[in-house]
Amino acid sequence: MNLLDKYVTEVGKHLPGKTRADIEAEIRSTLQDMLDERSAATGKPADDALAVEVLKEYGAPAKVAQSYRGAQYLVGPRLYPFFEMVTKIVISVLLGVTLLSFGLNFANNTSGPGFVEALGQFLVQLVSGIIAAFGNIVLVFAILERVLPTTDLEKEFTENEWDPTDLLREPDPDRIKISEMIATVVFTAIGLAILNLYPNLIGFAYTADGQGWVGLGQNAGEGWVFIPLLTETFFSYLPWINLLGVAQIVFSLVMLREGNWKLFSRIVHIGIEIAGIVLAAVMLAGPALVSLDPSKLVGFSSTEAATTLANMVNLAPIIALSVAIIVGLIEVAQSVYKLIKGKPAPFVPATK
Amino acid sequence: MTNSEQLQNTILELRRGVIVLAVLSQLDEEQYGYSLLKRLSDQGLDVDQGTLYPLLRRLEAQGLLASVWKLEEARPRRYYVISPEGRQLLPRLKEEWNNIVDLMGKMLE
Repeated sequence: MNLLDKYVTEVGKHLPGKTRADIEAEIRSTLQDMLDERSAATGKPADDALAVEVLKEYGAPAKVAQSYRGAQYLVGPRLYPFFEMVTKIVISVLLGVTLLSFGLNFANNTSGPGFVEALGQFLVQLVSGIIAAFGNIVLVFAILERVLPTTDLEKEFTENEWDPTDLLREPDPDRIKISEMIATVVFTAIGLAILNLYPNLIGFAYTADGQGWVGLGQNAGEGWVFIPLLTETFFSYLPWINLLGVAQIVFSLVMLREGNWKLFSRIVHIGIEIAGIVLAAVMLAGPALVSLDPSKLVGFSSTEAATTLANMVNLAPIIALSVAIIVGLIEVAQSVYKLIKGKPAPFVPATK
Repeated sequence: MTNSEQLQNTILELRRGVIVLAVLSQLDEEQYGYSLLKRLSDQGLDVDQGTLYPLLRRLEAQGLLASVWKLEEARPRRYYVISPEGRQLLPRLKEEWNNIVDLMGKMLE
């Protein structure tokens, strides 16, 4: 293999498979032309020494390949505003939860070493939480970037499609809210990922000697006792939660492609919402979904405080499910209303 | 960024805009990449290979050029020629170019 062939192969390594052979052949032919011309002009033989001159002029393989590939990105400019919004929300929530956890921790470790340990744990928890959350968001958006068609989203940003009278128009009830759909996909995916892959994030952990008790979201390491909050009953519902979550994600992705609510999609949406309400109701009526025994909270300063916290934790799913049912019922009612009402009369500009 | 770098970048930006028109205007008869490069260079427009070859592919993907591989002097070469769509577009681009030249000529007087 001569120098030109080696160079061409090196360029090819940085090119996508489908166009590689074609671009390689074209570059090889061009280099050969350049070499012949240089040889004729200078009277030097077309050998490796002359090839070195030609290749230096042609440029570094990675740079040459880059000129064919154009700009590459994980999350492109069209999705970036949504990406930024979701990242800000998730990081804020994460910061809030971790601070709350640290606050509880601090309340029980007023002594020096305990505080320092709690602070250390807080920082570790915060940094690892932010990195994991950020990674998950990037992953979801990178997938969205590749599956979403360009047209619908670009319409949102293209000036040609924008009509100033839109500002006066009542919002089209059949037009989907893109940010809402993307938020649903991202948050559902993150929720499913946590429940299935990291269920230990939901629990309490503390050191066996009762010092350095840390709060929600701590992965127990060596020397730590971890109390998972979620009961087996909860995990028995997990397949149904997964099924509904995946249905919700698929539905939202399809709606992002469709762009508009139609009779069928409204009915499917109502179906998913009702299924969610039924599942929430069954979970609410069944055995406890979380359990925290106050006697296990060794690190707490008083039994009373431990009991109060345990009661709060045990009450949390009841409140959360009740809220979910109420929100679900409101959504169903809204969807049914929109289904019956249909499209409003076309916009007529207001007269002065 | 120094003044001379800024000047170079601005000149590059200006030239980048005219390359498409220059390429389309020169592909009335078929040319392979290197011969086109020479042809442009002979007329005073030096275009970097890293700019020209990807541009030819992009114009082909847009339907403005057509290409075919030919075996010449025992060497395969990819020949490009303006497509019927490109031919339709070219007079309008020329007209636009003349408008810009007129306009800028007056503006910079």
